Amino acid sequence: MTELATLARPYAEAAFKRAKETGSAGKWAEALQFLALTVQDADMAEIVNNPRVSKEKIQQLLLDICRDQVDAEVINLLKLLIQNGKLKLLPKISALYEEYKAQDEGYVNVDLYSAYALTKAEQSKYVAMLEKQLDKKVNATVSVDKSLIGGILAKAGDKVIDGSVSGQLHQLAKRL
Amino acid sequence: MQLNPSEISDLIKKKIENFDAQIEAHSEGTVVSVTDGIVRVHGLSDAMQGEMLEFPGGSYGMALNLERDSVGVVMLGAYQHITEGDTVKCTGRILEVPVGEALLGRVVDALGQPIDGKGAIDSNLSSPIEKIAPGVIARQSVDQPVQIGLKAIDSMIPVGRGQRELIIGDRQTGKTAIAVDAIINQKGTGIKCIYVAIGQKRSSIANVVRKLEEHGAMEHTIIVVASASESAALQFIAPYTGCSMGEYFRDKGEDALIIYDDLTKQAWAYRQISLLLRRPPGREAYPGDVFYIHSRLLERAARINAAEVEKLTDGKVKGKTGSLTALPIIETQGGDVSAFVPTNVISITDGQIFLETGLFNSGIRPAVNAGLSVSRVGGAAQTKIIKKLGGGIRLDLAQFRELAAFAQFASDLDESTRKQIERGQRVTELMKQNQYAPMSVADMGVSLYAANAGFLDSLEVKKVRDFEAALLSFMKSEEPELMAKINQTGDFSDEIKNGMHSAIERFVKTNTW
Repeated sequence: MTELATLARPYAEAAFKRAKETGSAGKWAEALQFLALTVQDADMAEIVNNPRVSKEKIQQLLLDICRDQVDAEVINLLKLLIQNGKLKLLPKISALYEEYKAQDEGYVNVDLYSAYALTKAEQSKYVAMLEKQLDKKVNATVSVDKSLIGGILAKAGDKVIDGSVSGQLHQLAKRL
Repeated sequence: MQLNPSEISDLIKKKIENFDAQIEAHSEGTVVSVTDGIVRVHGLSDAMQGEMLEFPGGSYGMALNLERDSVGVVMLGAYQHITEGDTVKCTGRILEVPVGEALLGRVVDALGQPIDGKGAIDSNLSSPIEKIAPGVIARQSVDQPVQIGLKAIDSMIPVGRGQRELIIGDRQTGKTAIAVDAIINQKGTGIKCIYVAIGQKRSSIANVVRKLEEHGAMEHTIIVVASASESAALQFIAPYTGCSMGEYFRDKGEDALIIYDDLTKQAWAYRQISLLLRRPPGREAYPGDVFYIHSRLLERAARINAAEVEKLTDGKVKGKTGSLTALPIIETQGGDVSAFVPTNVISITDGQIFLETGLFNSGIRPAVNAGLSVSRVGGAAQTKIIKKLGGGIRLDLAQFRELAAFAQFASDLDESTRKQIERGQRVTELMKQNQYAPMSVADMGVSLYAANAGFLDSLEVKKVRDFEAALLSFMKSEEPELMAKINQTGDFSDEIKNGMHSAIERFVKTNTW
């Protein structure tokens, strides 16, 4: 079964290229996120995934919701997705678009987990360390995870940098 | 030596002190699906081909399918506890197994973990299972013999150190028996043996281990087991594991013998993995690279020259060549050697020993079909005595085969034809040998000489083996120095020939068989 990411990639690439041409990368990002959330909403998802509901009805419903919120070109993308029956790819398209945007603008989204709440000073220290390590601007999202016991864990896409106490205990256990 | 409790905690304390806690960076992915031992992992964009991936619960898998957005992983070991959404970590290591002298005498599984209950294996050397075979310049041609200990094989289809000789036949024709006899006969020769059991019943493997222990052959043998109830992945990698263990000895300037029993089951296991990974099936539903899995395995069995050994041991071992001899086993269905996998492996190896059910059932054991069996190394890998005497045997059997149809009309034929048929019958009877009774070079030389010189022609066919047994015990008691000399030098000088001839004449006079 082909991965959703493989199916979503052409749409995301097309959207990003268009966004760069018209210089509205940020607006597209917001619009796609909005659409992704709409489609994932419980009631909406039920209607969208229901084979009995005709494509015209879905199109009408979505356009009513989104017309004022998003640009004309985003509406075109939406119509195309409905026509091809690929609405459930929207969350993936939004995620991939984010990745392309991040790569283009030279920043990376990092999830930072810490055992205890970090002060502003500590946070900026870690962000600076990560920026040096990853050689890109870092957009950090901080959250607290007690299971780490101490230290921090940083996740950037696939890469994980583990400086937590629980990670070190795990290494020690393997060594012994 | 027993460790007392304080010593143990001291050791641990030392390890903890010296533990260099580093910030560890690795890649992670998430499990998307788990089916039949194949796990699809999303992410892991920098996984390597054949890399070991760590799953929760300490399970490991091997990355085989690297796709754009996901990785197809084949699980090595238990996978029932893995669920969708679990995190998978890259280890950065291609699959490796422990190698070294510590493995001799042990029974291990396809990952090198001991399964004989004799404790952990004390080896800190490890080697990846996939290695590139030695290059053309690094090799040396095969000219030293590996004595299998079976008359039919050593006289007509000799195997040399560094050769690949295929043992091919239907089920229950004695393929494993030849392999076990070969291992038993390597006692005291300095050749280390590795027996890789792929897809076999554990009871059969237990039998083999027991027989080797009884004959004192376990000390120079490593047994690698991937039995029928183990996952296809383990059955697939077991031969490569055994090969890495054999290469350790080859690269040290020593000789090793490896037996793959059998490669048909490894091909089946690989077919299962490939179909589950959704690789396109080809002929007989095998994937397109079924030739490559065998060719890259068998190319690693080679003889490397002294210069290469010196290079590989950093100058520690000089002037010695190293070799790894392979005896792969293939099981045919209904005697069909022109099926896909048998033809593949026949084209890879340097010869085959062809075993037939018909011969086996008519009492000729080992059931070697001397006409279809061939060794492409041939006489270069024989001791002088066997080479001289084996030629006569081969000729007698070839002529006998031509006249086999006329054997029923023995009384109506001319003298020379009748003589040829009778000689052929006696030589065929002589080639039979008991299981677990491999013969030394001297014993074989005496037997073959008796046949060549015509001492058997006057005997009844059914008395030939009794004659041989009595002759050999006579030579053992009456001419021990001559036998020892032949075993040591392998020569067939006139002096030895005359000594043998007169000894046999004396034996014939005693009439004790």
